[in-house]
Amino acid sequence: MVTIEQSTEQINQAVAALQERLGEKVRAIEQPTPHRLYVTIDPDVVVQAADILFNDLRARYLISAGMDKRPLNGGFEVLHFFAFDRANVRCALVIPLSGDPPRIPSITPTVPAAGWAEREFRDLFGIIPEGHPDPRPLALPDGFPEGLYPLRKDFPYDYKPPLDHSKTFPFKEPPEGTTVVTVGPFFPVLEEPSQWRIFVDGEIVVGWDYRGFYNHRAIEKLGDSVLTYNQVVFLAERICGICGCVHSTSYCQAVEEAAGIEVPLRAKVIRTLILELERIHSHLLWLGLACHILGFDYAFMQSWRIREPVMWLAEYLTGSRKHFSINLVGGVRRDIKKEQHQRTLEVVGKIERETKELADTLLNDMPLIARLRGTGIFTPEEVRLTGAVGPTARGSGIAIDVRKDHPYAAYDLVEFDVVTQDGCDNLARTLVRVYEIFESVKIVRQCIKMLQELPEGDLMAELPEEIPPYRHGMHAVEAPRGEVFHYVFTGENNRPYRWRVRAPSYQNIQAVPVMFKPGTTIADVPITLGSVDPCFSCTERMEVIDIRSGETKVLTEQELYRLSREKTAELRKQLEGGA
Amino acid sequence: MVDSKFKQLLLALRAGKVTFAYPFEPRPSEPGFRGRVVVDTDKCTGCGGCADVCPTRCIRIVDVSPTYRIIRRYLERCIHCGRCEDVCRYGAVWLDLEYEIATTSKSDLFIEQHLFMGSCSRCGRCYVPPNPLDRLMVVGFRKDEEV
Ligand code: SF4
Ligand code: SF4
Repeated sequence: MVTIEQSTEQINQAVAALQERLGEKVRAIEQPTPHRLYVTIDPDVVVQAADILFNDLRARYLISAGMDKRPLNGGFEVLHFFAFDRANVRCALVIPLSGDPPRIPSITPTVPAAGWAEREFRDLFGIIPEGHPDPRPLALPDGFPEGLYPLRKDFPYDYKPPLDHSKTFPFKEPPEGTTVVTVGPFFPVLEEPSQWRIFVDGEIVVGWDYRGFYNHRAIEKLGDSVLTYNQVVFLAERICGICGCVHSTSYCQAVEEAAGIEVPLRAKVIRTLILELERIHSHLLWLGLACHILGFDYAFMQSWRIREPVMWLAEYLTGSRKHFSINLVGGVRRDIKKEQHQRTLEVVGKIERETKELADTLLNDMPLIARLRGTGIFTPEEVRLTGAVGPTARGSGIAIDVRKDHPYAAYDLVEFDVVTQDGCDNLARTLVRVYEIFESVKIVRQCIKMLQELPEGDLMAELPEEIPPYRHGMHAVEAPRGEVFHYVFTGENNRPYRWRVRAPSYQNIQAVPVMFKPGTTIADVPITLGSVDPCFSCTERMEVIDIRSGETKVLTEQELYRLSREKTAELRKQLEGGA
Repeated sequence: MVDSKFKQLLLALRAGKVTFAYPFEPRPSEPGFRGRVVVDTDKCTGCGGCADVCPTRCIRIVDVSPTYRIIRRYLERCIHCGRCEDVCRYGAVWLDLEYEIATTSKSDLFIEQHLFMGSCSRCGRCYVPPNPLDRLMVVGFRKDEEV
């Protein structure tokens, strides 16, 4: 358990390092709570500051956010967020910018994980990251009019500019003599439409390119222009269809932090319990789909069968099997009553037992293990550079877990282990998820025990008349896929002035290409992508273009699965032959 | 490996049949389920509280005149969050257990209410008359002409 002294020490160290190296360029230091640090610096030293935090002090990069502060002070602002996981400290570099278009030196060459975030604020705010290695658009659709920036305050939330359909995305040129395999725009294993262009030489992957954000829904814009604080909760929950509660919890915690609201303990315990139920169902869902990709439909069926009772339990406790709608700023909406405890314990007990049995048979299944072991290698240093989180990082032996590092809700009151594996491959990431199911069951049991002891009914904090405007709040929740991070800058009219969301896949998807190590074959691509659990879905199609002949071959979902499964079958034969 | 396949087989056999015959047998939802939105128009005073909190903003209010308010609920956009039920002080709206509400016609999910309101003599805006007697006194309360 990290003490407040350790956090203070870390903050002092960071402040001292920044002040020593940057001197006068550090304009202001704000420390709203013992675990938060906001350092305002001049734009010209941002790379140096990022270097100090990221490389010297080994902070983990979280995300960057742009902000249009022209209605307040006439300028723009960029925030780069970092976390000190061992000391329970989160830190933001606040960089006020002037001029239009505002410019800021890019930190991506120093902090590779910032690649997407900087491209995103260029697209949405027109803040130009100078010296960015990949200055192509990221979030805006192809042919979006130049000079229009949707997240600026003067852009109406319901304005739909005409698109120039003749413009296409500037994809990377493939290396000489390679073939391009296009996966997407509707991806085989990802829920979101995203397009991967994988450059292959024969069967071997030699390069890649990515285009996503086809489904950018301007959720942040709605949050800071139309909805009110308590309406955003429900929008936040719908960011993800599998793990929605993590977003609403994280958002609520950010607002609560900004407004200084203390949530009642019972509400915290209920949040914890629901979040763990969500993790159980999400991991079981993933396990099933991962096996499905590899052609083990048996495990797919069984793990989804095991999962179904959690969904019913969630419906029984919250009123809906998904989108629990349990959170509000200040607490939770529904109590978990005495008569519901027994059933909760029975369901998680059964899940624990059945998952154990299933995992036992799967982990002795040689072909399955052979497909997972040694593919999608992801080293600890790569984890740091890409900013990957969750089971993706923990599979590489890096013990980061928001629940332990930055305790929220009631996680400081429950006992559990952070599961890590040292394999750095697809197998390690699978094992992490399987073992985490058992940890979650442990947490649910402890939550029920706490609920039995706490008085019923104390669910909501007294809210202040008005949430004080222009305050920062940042909070994160450990989602099944990794850390979900929400930043809220409070505003007037009962709504956030700026709301920034970073889902775990935002960092993890950037990490996937790193896992395509020399020698990876096309058949390993689906499971490697799948191993970061980037929200699964089904294929639309897959296109193989032979650059030299200009021939296009379209692979369907079935063919892609077939490739992956044939490899499994082949392995099985080899294994049997060898035995 | 043969051993693990054998275990897998046992596991599947033990699970038995897990699917239901729905829709050929009913599957009622349990108490607490957040299903269809029901409005008791007799109880609704038109205070507008639900419209204020609805996250999808599917409850729209039009004040035709200072004494006459129309509430339209476009429930095809409803996400069944139950916030309207939470805030309604008059128990006029709630979510029941019905979930078979898929339809081919949006109008099945549309509710329109016409309400006679008190009119504030200072600002001229609609407000909810404080008690039933006051409501009876409201101009036009018992008129039922087409508008
Ligand atoms: S909150 Fe209740 S009384 Fe007020 S308008 Fe809505 S349904 Fe009617
Ligand atoms: S349940 Fe939620 S979305 Fe539906 S009408 Fe009520 S407040 Fe609106």
